Amino acid sequence: MTLTLTSPAMVHVFGVRHLSPSGAWHLRRFLDAVRPKVVLIEGLADANDLIPDITRKQTRPPIAILAYTQTLPVRTLVYPIARYSPEYQALVWAAENRARAEFIDLPSDIFLALEDVRQRHEHSSPEAQDEPQADGAPSPDAQDEADRPINTEPPVSLYDRFAAQAGETDYETYWERRFEHNLSEESYRRAAFEFGRALRELEQDEPRWRAENLVREAYMRRRIQETIEAGTPPEKIVAIVGAFHASVLTRDEAPMTDQELKSLPRRPSKLTLMPYSYFKLSSQSGYGAGNHAPAYFQLLWEALEQDDLPGLPARYLSLVARHLREGGTHRSTAEVIEGVRLACTLSAMKEGSAPTLQDLQDAAVTLIGHGERTAISEALARVEVGTEIGQLPKGVSKTSIQDDFAREIDRLKLDKYVTAVKQDLSLDLRENRRAKTEAAAYLDLHRSYFLHRLRVLEIPFAALAPSSQQSATWAEKWVVQWTPEAEISLVEAVLLGETVELATAYKFKMLLEKCAAVNEAAQLVRAACECGMMESMEAARRRLQELSTESTEFTAVAHAANELGMLARYGDVRRFDPAPLLPLMDDLFVQGSLALLGAANCDNDAAKGVLVGMDELNKVNLEYHDRVDEPLWTSKLKLLSDADDRNPILSGYACAILLERSLLSNEDLAREVSRRLSPGIAADLGAGWFEGVSKRNRYALLTRQPLWEQLAEYVKSLDEEQFRRAIVFLRRAFGGFSPQEKQQITENLGEHWGVNPDAASEVLQQPLTEQEEKTLEDLNEFDFGDL
Amino acid sequence: MAKKQASAAASGNGAGNMLRQPAEVLYAEEIDALIKADKHPKPTGWRMSPRSVLTYLCGGKCGKLDITPKYIGHQRQVEIAISTLVTDRALLLIGEPGTAKSWLSEHLTAAINGDSTKVVQGTAGTTEEQIRYTWNYAMLIAHGPSHQALIKSPIFRAMEEGAIARFEEITRCASEVQDAMISLLSEKRISVPELATEVPAQKGFSIIATANTRDRGVNDMSAAIKRRFNIVVLPTPKDIDTEIGIVRKRVRELALSLDLAAQPPADDAIEKVVTIFRELRSGQTLDGKAKVKSPSGVLSTAEAISLLANSMALAGNFGSGKVEADDIAAGLQGAIVKDEEKDHVVWEEYLKNVMKKRGADWRPLFNACSEHHG
Repeated sequence: MTLTLTSPAMVHVFGVRHLSPSGAWHLRRFLDAVRPKVVLIEGLADANDLIPDITRKQTRPPIAILAYTQTLPVRTLVYPIARYSPEYQALVWAAENRARAEFIDLPSDIFLALEDVRQRHEHSSPEAQDEPQADGAPSPDAQDEADRPINTEPPVSLYDRFAAQAGETDYETYWERRFEHNLSEESYRRAAFEFGRALRELEQDEPRWRAENLVREAYMRRRIQETIEAGTPPEKIVAIVGAFHASVLTRDEAPMTDQELKSLPRRPSKLTLMPYSYFKLSSQSGYGAGNHAPAYFQLLWEALEQDDLPGLPARYLSLVARHLREGGTHRSTAEVIEGVRLACTLSAMKEGSAPTLQDLQDAAVTLIGHGERTAISEALARVEVGTEIGQLPKGVSKTSIQDDFAREIDRLKLDKYVTAVKQDLSLDLRENRRAKTEAAAYLDLHRSYFLHRLRVLEIPFAALAPSSQQSATWAEKWVVQWTPEAEISLVEAVLLGETVELATAYKFKMLLEKCAAVNEAAQLVRAACECGMMESMEAARRRLQELSTESTEFTAVAHAANELGMLARYGDVRRFDPAPLLPLMDDLFVQGSLALLGAANCDNDAAKGVLVGMDELNKVNLEYHDRVDEPLWTSKLKLLSDADDRNPILSGYACAILLERSLLSNEDLAREVSRRLSPGIAADLGAGWFEGVSKRNRYALLTRQPLWEQLAEYVKSLDEEQFRRAIVFLRRAFGGFSPQEKQQITENLGEHWGVNPDAASEVLQQPLTEQEEKTLEDLNEFDFGDL
Repeated sequence: MAKKQASAAASGNGAGNMLRQPAEVLYAEEIDALIKADKHPKPTGWRMSPRSVLTYLCGGKCGKLDITPKYIGHQRQVEIAISTLVTDRALLLIGEPGTAKSWLSEHLTAAINGDSTKVVQGTAGTTEEQIRYTWNYAMLIAHGPSHQALIKSPIFRAMEEGAIARFEEITRCASEVQDAMISLLSEKRISVPELATEVPAQKGFSIIATANTRDRGVNDMSAAIKRRFNIVVLPTPKDIDTEIGIVRKRVRELALSLDLAAQPPADDAIEKVVTIFRELRSGQTLDGKAKVKSPSGVLSTAEAISLLANSMALAGNFGSGKVEADDIAAGLQGAIVKDEEKDHVVWEEYLKNVMKKRGADWRPLFNACSEHHG
């Protein structure tokens, strides 16, 4: 087909901002007035087949059109649609009024190929960053008119300058006040048109953006031309495009020629619809206007539909107050009323007709939050972002993550495991030295990464079986089985990201945000390491660092330090660099050391946990004695060992660690024993201390002669009454010793008293007579009474 | 009006000797210029429009005259404060010590009423009479209750005139005394049962109260009284450069007025102190990469200023005359470790985990601090 140069001047063009409720509202009125036969919409041209699915009754926005390449590297485009998107309302209008609706932007294969070109440019530029979000999910909107300020590189954008000139602090507020609240006839269309034209004149984009826009506009003109030539009169056509493009679709500019179209790069691609969520819409910048508060814009849309824009502030603030009340914080209606008044005054100071979101937020903070934003931030998030998730009829969705899953399965040679039959899979994470390629050499390691990622995503495909060899860090055993549930979870995971890796990264991000305890964070560090995702591990490490300062809990900190130490030590089998973990481990070690004395002030139940923590921290110390602050740790141990006002078991344990590390001289030990056992000290304090000492390496204890000398001296020095008391706790202290150990003790003591060791031992090993038993019983009672 | 002139005249007489002039006298020129140039509608009882008030506080231009900014940084907070007063609500400015609450309240009333002197200065000893009214007891006993015998509080007078009254340090008053404000604010009238009368507030009446959040010796505010205020929290200086600027300026001024014998501390010493204060206050390092624990104290900008002035005094009287790391370390220890046990750990952790790793530049200060910390 040859295209003539006739300009498509006579079609109606309606410039919008994507996701603009007011745009949708004005657009519907405009369509009602014009009653077009054909509605042309800026959107992937090959998505036309999806239109019936979008407008089906069972479909509930927010949804998104997802385009992705079928080959590696995966590029994706996400084109989100909310109920208040002008494009969605146009589609609905067309369906209701039997008009034909068509998308007229570049088809996805060209778009994705252009994306490729752009990526290449960005990677060659020095400051290019390898962010997965930016890599994986830019949308057509991303390079679109009004959305640029949130999305792209230039920091002080044209948009902010527009806003500043109008006396607003940011572009969003500027737009809302000038466009969203403007209800006079035709005003939106004209203002958006002028705004787009002004932008084009002032725009100083990089040539790359500009070129892409020009290509797209030429293609859209071509499509408009085609529609006219196919027999629809221009006045019966409405084109709905971003405001930025509106002015050039009516002017005398050339549409794209066949030759030009042919010269564009293409990459084979697929399209699908997927359910979307408001949360996702708000959390991923770059998707266009109004994305930061989708639920609020939904409210705005509803208010417009009900012709009740002035009622919006009351609605918004009542909802905030209601969410707070549900959370148990009472706020009165009077405060809501005053909040509405304040919001209206704030807006009036800027000569606005209605309060913007920013005015409403400030009013909510001042009145309902009593000045504290943190008090209501959760309620604000629920009112502004909401939890709405879109729905699609069954069978409509074929997502990129499913494709990615299949590709990974293929790459990792796991095909035979994707069956309904349970199978075992043993992995050896070490390098296979006989393999020819690197991919083959580390096949099992990559399989492990992949399965761990699925585990994080809670896709029930593979379960980790408990390993028989506890210490073998290079072996893993999995039980693998494919089920319909796994398929469903997989499709749902697309909400997190377009590929398994992206989804896992996002999941980590969410888990980290929720994570509140040091040991949880330490586990996430480990999980990220198991998934082979270094960026997530770094994020987890940072979260761990944050949490560790908030927590003074000794056991958790010690556990985390130990966990990091283990990871760093055994990490090389997973081929990662443990260097970034070590400084944090040092910090945790310092924190743990400082927290020790405080934690040691506890009862015997809690002491069990602290004991484990002391052990772990000591392990870290021994393992990394060259980098951690060893003197600090030992000095704290000494303090604890000398302390009388802490848990005696822990004091004893500290003493035992010092003994084991030969940091306590015989004289010191002797003095300590005699001090602990001196008359006047409560019996169970001494016993507890002995219990603690004997919890560690008993052989080290048994060989220390001074200990037993002191004990012998002590027993000798007691008078009858004191001896009765002492025997109770001495019994308890040695109760845990094995017969053999007891024999050694008796030998030690015998030596000292000059008794024949064998004879002494024989006497002591004899079972007690009935009378002796009774005496001891009595002693117990006596002691209890005394306490 | 006559009264206003009289008071202006009075302050004019003694202006030379006055230790500190009220804002409306100090900035009379700017206020007059703004009133003259004002084109926007004025709320009843206001001398200028809300926009001009904003210009007066945050700076700008009025004709050829430059309006100096009185409150730097958080313009939105000022906008909310002004809007609150437009809606006839009472305004409560909350913030940590040293965040310019009283300063802002004084300038707001100076701009709106041209009179910032209707003040109740709240203390633990403030009584209800000082908020409402009291009597000239000689007259009361001689003639019984009469209008002449009535001594009106600043708030009473503000209600009669339709002006704005200030209530400083409201949380230092006992809760029972604070409660006197409740019905006063909701009914906007004050009853004098002894004279069987009620005085309604004129349009334009409002109250600006200020309160400290993290300080000792303050009473909680009841929900009932909180509800009657629009609460604006004044934050600490936005960025480190602003804060360093404020500290440097004030330390120089103090050094002059107190005749401290030492040279003012070097810029990088100020920067270090402000950095430490900001990091401990916000609970994370400036680059946001690591979190740290916060001590129990407030660590306001004002404290940083007095710390540096103190270290100058130390250096001047007992040291080399130049502020050394050792002089600062002594002050830091005292400012940060207040609540023995807990702060001790916080400071030690900060020293070991943050400061120690800062490199050679910080080494002298780190050593001095460790020594003091012991």
